[in-house]
This record gives sequence, structure tokens and C-alpha cells, in this order.
Amino acid sequence: MEPANSGALEALLKRGELVESTSEMTPDYLRELKHTLLFSGDTELISAPAYYLAARKAPSVNAFMTGIAIIQDELAHAHIAYHILEELGESQEDLIFKRDPKAFRYPYAFDVPLESWTELVVANAMYDQAGFCLLGDIHEHGSYGPWKRGLVKVMAEENFHLRNGRNWSKRISQAGGEAREELQRAVDWMFPLTVEWFGLPDNLKQHSTQLDYRLKGLTNDQLRQQWLSTVVPFMESIGIAVPAHQEGDGYVLDYPFPCTFDADEKRWDFKDPCSWDAVLKRWRERGPRNAEMVALFQESFAKFQVRA
Amino acid sequence: MGYTRVHAEVHEYDVFARKTRVEPLHQVGSVVAPDDDLAMAYARATYDEERWVEMMIVPKAAIISLWAPGGDS
Ligand SMILES: [Fe+2]
Ligand SMILES: [Fe+2]
Repeated sequence: MEPANSGALEALLKRGELVESTSEMTPDYLRELKHTLLFSGDTELISAPAYYLAARKAPSVNAFMTGIAIIQDELAHAHIAYHILEELGESQEDLIFKRDPKAFRYPYAFDVPLESWTELVVANAMYDQAGFCLLGDIHEHGSYGPWKRGLVKVMAEENFHLRNGRNWSKRISQAGGEAREELQRAVDWMFPLTVEWFGLPDNLKQHSTQLDYRLKGLTNDQLRQQWLSTVVPFMESIGIAVPAHQEGDGYVLDYPFPCTFDADEKRWDFKDPCSWDAVLKRWRERGPRNAEMVALFQESFAKFQVRA
Repeated sequence: MGYTRVHAEVHEYDVFARKTRVEPLHQVGSVVAPDDDLAMAYARATYDEERWVEMMIVPKAAIISLWAPGGDS
């Protein structure tokens, strides 16, 4: 197939129309689209082992079943992204089973172990909220038709995940005592990890090809603000403190962004600001649970493979 | 597109469903499976976001496309 010329693609994007087939893409658009899909598929996929390792600590069989239902949703979300990649010429099998753990592209937050039911529900309230903002933006503004349509299902289910997170967070906070302190501790380390999820601030990221191609509609800072505007009021409403506050139309962080993080201790040092280069280095090196989570879905592959 | 999977031979199916009797069927996604039975199981498990009144799967190979966006005409 002849690659489309960039003039035709640009005109199509300007008219607000959707790209439907590879014949309408330039090689550059295709590459950016694949990057974006891979990040999304990897994030959905890795959330399954991350949530599973925590769901085992569920306080009741019912709670465990809810956790498993969410994990099943996440696997379906991963399938949607990988299947589109497959239609664009990638091998789903290679992507899932044959990549090195460090080659997966997902937010660093998932590499820090979720070790209790409380941490899992805080992840639902904050990580799934981040996914909801990012995917909602693609669902609303995205230029690739097949993905936009696939996200209808994903959005409905992410909404359920974050409602689960909010209901449980509220319940745990109302219980008070040690349960509530544990909740506050989880929010303390997970909140800044989700703030950095949205990437470099706009003033450091001069140019976004994803925005040019309408693979997303909002900038990193706009998405971060959107997330803050839902999470900060919610946490305050259930009496949990977060290091951010409203100022005028926006939200302001009460700590230097970025600053250093000790993943093993799950502790931020708000007195030790760092550079974005240091953050990018931490992301590249991946965190404590990266290899363990990837092994969880890769290890059976060789055993069960059927040779043609 | 020349990919291999755990199963040597797999087929792609489009999944169609509708929520209410008054609305038409629409495509909700697709699944890849070695046979119809597994494809049905995958479709049921993957696209469970609604209480559908109707769901069906169609082997992609059985679909004859007359025209499509990005095509020649
Ligand atoms: Fe998801
Ligand atoms: Fe989710």
C-alpha cells in the first residue's frame, strides 16, 4: 500500500475526520499511533498482575471477586489495544510474551508493589482515575476511528473501577483508627506517583507530535490538572490529606515537583527536589516489581506453546 | 499479516451486539480464536460491559466489503 501523502492526512485531521485505514496514514502517523497504543496496551496489561498481587489480600470473598472482575476488565482493555496493533502489522504474541520486562512501556507507579487491599483500592481511586483522564481524552479527541470506538467499552469499565476505589476508600476512612492511618499512608506515597504519571510539564515539553496528529487532545499539564480537580476534592471530602490545594481555577502542588522517591521505603523526600533527568532515569531503570509482574504472564508461554 | 500465536491456526471474528430491541446491531469489537466455540467464549468474556439483548460473531473471512474509508473509490 502506498503511504498517504502528508497533505491529505493533514487536511483530513483539520476537517476533524477520523483516520480509518493504514492507506490514509503517513509512516510518521503510523509510528506515533503505534507508540500510543503500545503504552496503553502495556499499562492495561501490567495493571492485571499489579492488581492481582494485591487482590489476594482482599478482606472477603466478595471483595476478592470484585478485584478479579476488575482484573478481567483490564485484560480485555489490553486485548483491545494489542489487537489494533496486530491489525497495524505487529505480532501480539511477540509484544506480550517475547519482550524483555524493561521494554514494556507503562507508568512507573505500577512498579512499586501494591501490597494490601487498602493500596489496591487507592490504586483504583487514583491510578484508574488517571487512566480515565488519559483514555477519556483519546476517546473524545482521538483521530484513529477503530481505537476511539474500542474505548467506549473501556471508559464504561474504568468508571466502575474508580467508583470501586472511591467507595472503599470512603469506607476505610470512616472506619477510622489504624485502617484510616493505613489509607493515609497509601495516599501519601501513591498521590505523587500519579501526579508524575502525566509526564513532563508543558514548559519542558516544547513540541508534541501526538497533539499534532490528534492522538490526544489535551497537554500533559491539562490532563494533570483534570486529574487533580477530581482526586483532590474527593480525598478532602473523605477526610484524607493530599499535598495539593486549589488556587483560582487550578490546583497547585504543595511540594517540589519533581522530587526524590525511595521505592523500597515507598517514601517521598519533599525536602529533596530533583531534576527531570533524574526522574526519567528512575523510569528507565524501572522499579522493584517490573520483572516479577512480567514473569507472571510470560512464564507459562513456553510451556503451553503448540508448534505448528 | 504473518504472525504466529500459541495456536498455529487462528481466525478473526467481528463481534456485534445491541442493548435494546429498538436499536440495530453494531460492531462492539473483535476476537481472535482457533475455532467458533472458543471465539464465542472470548466474545462473551471480553465484551461483557453491557447486558446485551443480542450478540453474534461473524468470521471476518465471511465479510465481503464493498467499499471502506481510505479505499480507492
Ligand atoms: Fe483499564
Ligand atoms: Fe482500570
